[in-house]
Amino acid sequence: MLQLVVGQLLNGIIVGTLYAIIALGVTLTFGITGIVNFALGAFMMLGAYVTWYLSDGAGVAYPIAVPLAVACIALLGLLVDQALFRFTRNNLINGLIVSIGLISVLVAVVLMIWTTTPQNMHYVLPGVFRVGGVIVPKMKAVVFVVLLLVILFTYGALTRTWAGRAAYAYAQKPEAAALMGVRTGVLQAGVAAYAAGLAGLGGGLYASLYSITPEIGSAYILKGVEAAILAGIGSIMGSFVGGIIIGVAEGVGSIFLPSAYNDAYGLVLLVLILLFKPAGLFANR
Amino acid sequence: MKHLLWIPLLAVPFVVHDNVVLTILVFTFIAGILAVSFNLVFGFTGQLSLFHAAAFGLSAYATYLSMIHLGISFWLGMIVGVLFVTLISVVIGAICFRFNLRELYFAIVTLAFSELIRLVILNWNSFTNGSLGINFTLTPTLWVPGRGVIPVTGTLMWYYLSLVAVALAVFGYSRIVHSWMGRCFASIRLNDELADTLGIDVFRYKLVSFVAGNIGAAIAGSLYSFYISYIDPNYFSLDQSLAIIAMALLGGREFVAAPIVGALVLTALPHVINVNAEARLLIYGLILILTILLMPRGIVGLLARQRRAA
Repeated sequence: MLQLVVGQLLNGIIVGTLYAIIALGVTLTFGITGIVNFALGAFMMLGAYVTWYLSDGAGVAYPIAVPLAVACIALLGLLVDQALFRFTRNNLINGLIVSIGLISVLVAVVLMIWTTTPQNMHYVLPGVFRVGGVIVPKMKAVVFVVLLLVILFTYGALTRTWAGRAAYAYAQKPEAAALMGVRTGVLQAGVAAYAAGLAGLGGGLYASLYSITPEIGSAYILKGVEAAILAGIGSIMGSFVGGIIIGVAEGVGSIFLPSAYNDAYGLVLLVLILLFKPAGLFANR
Repeated sequence: MKHLLWIPLLAVPFVVHDNVVLTILVFTFIAGILAVSFNLVFGFTGQLSLFHAAAFGLSAYATYLSMIHLGISFWLGMIVGVLFVTLISVVIGAICFRFNLRELYFAIVTLAFSELIRLVILNWNSFTNGSLGINFTLTPTLWVPGRGVIPVTGTLMWYYLSLVAVALAVFGYSRIVHSWMGRCFASIRLNDELADTLGIDVFRYKLVSFVAGNIGAAIAGSLYSFYISYIDPNYFSLDQSLAIIAMALLGGREFVAAPIVGALVLTALPHVINVNAEARLLIYGLILILTILLMPRGIVGLLARQRRAA
């Protein structure tokens, strides 16, 4: 029993970091452009498909395929930001609807190219780590470490570099930031592309662990938004912790309840947080 | 004057005998009820509810299941569906508005509740038959002068039934919108803090709007499920909510009946240009994006402005 609990706990933490990478993108775009981009889930799904296609279809080695996919998705994020979201800045409802429309478009395109059949990538890194009686697949550990490093890097970049502090300043007071020499248009486009790249990375790593279907985007964006709101939208490390909380709740919960209700934990947590602590668990700004 | 527009619709089956056209119109009318009622909450009160598809599906299930388990007629079943949806909407609306959830947070929490309900419907196999859904042969019955009580079958009867239903919905919602309550809704949409300062009970009117909108969805759900004789958890899907939003936006948010125009376009489109499900999804998405960016007032809004300018 203890093994089972510890195993599910670890599993939950690893899945949780995938939620966290989406939540981070949600938080960043919301802070800088004032809209919640639900299409980040679709970007993640595309990232998974592009990685799989490059790696299994075009024969590119996986460690190269992932950065290539990230670059593609970041570019796509930049394009749709300039073509669409530029016109819905700080208009939450319009931004929401445009992003919902964009999801349909991207999912439809993927369905046309690759159909609904789930795609499975080859095993990138077979083998497991055994610690006591607990088994952790090597690839899951790698995914966790990579995502954790990227989240820490993002946190560091936001707090230690000029561009990061510009972003923080902009989130606090756009006019003041502009007067201090922050080029706001460039900043917004850059953040949109970076968030899309994060989602693409999540997708690329996801591809090495699970089956890829067009529906994964909507599942992950829902968890990502839940995690971001759970933590208090705008908090970087909060979105990491929020993702882990939802992942662990699902992992440990599946021991006691049928896994059919897995999606319910995040939803229930989300409703409770919004009702009783609407600024989020880690709201400080 | 505007009411005269309904009269040609009564005559359509005498002129058009094509079953496909009439079927499209039946779907348009039922979807129209759904879109018009959604627009009360979205267009007139300014709350983006993602619970509308759930109200639609809940009522479809409640109508059928109450007919089977209680042995009642369709119309009583529909009343059960409407009452059930009213009850659930009051609870969910009260939770959301008491805790003052706005904009994104309201959308997310209503989405969370509809997802939770979908999960229950999906997994309660013994009662709802899970993801397979239920095919059934029950039909509504109507008393027709000279013919007694007869089952509603065939496109022609459904045409008039759904036409009457959508006309009643437009009538009912326009009475609400053009009443004092409608002004309260508008004040909440424009600035709910100011409305509160002016002594408008924001909580109460948001709740009334949410519940009244969901009742329309409930009626549409009962009718739709019996027209296609099939219920399944897809009634609750996000795609369904998406379609409803697209209809309201495309038709126009400012007018009570305008979403029916959106419903007509989106219902007829797949038949006019013969496309598969993927292409339809693509078109929905493009319509949403392009409407928001290029035509934020919708088709009717665009026409109304041009007429005024001329």
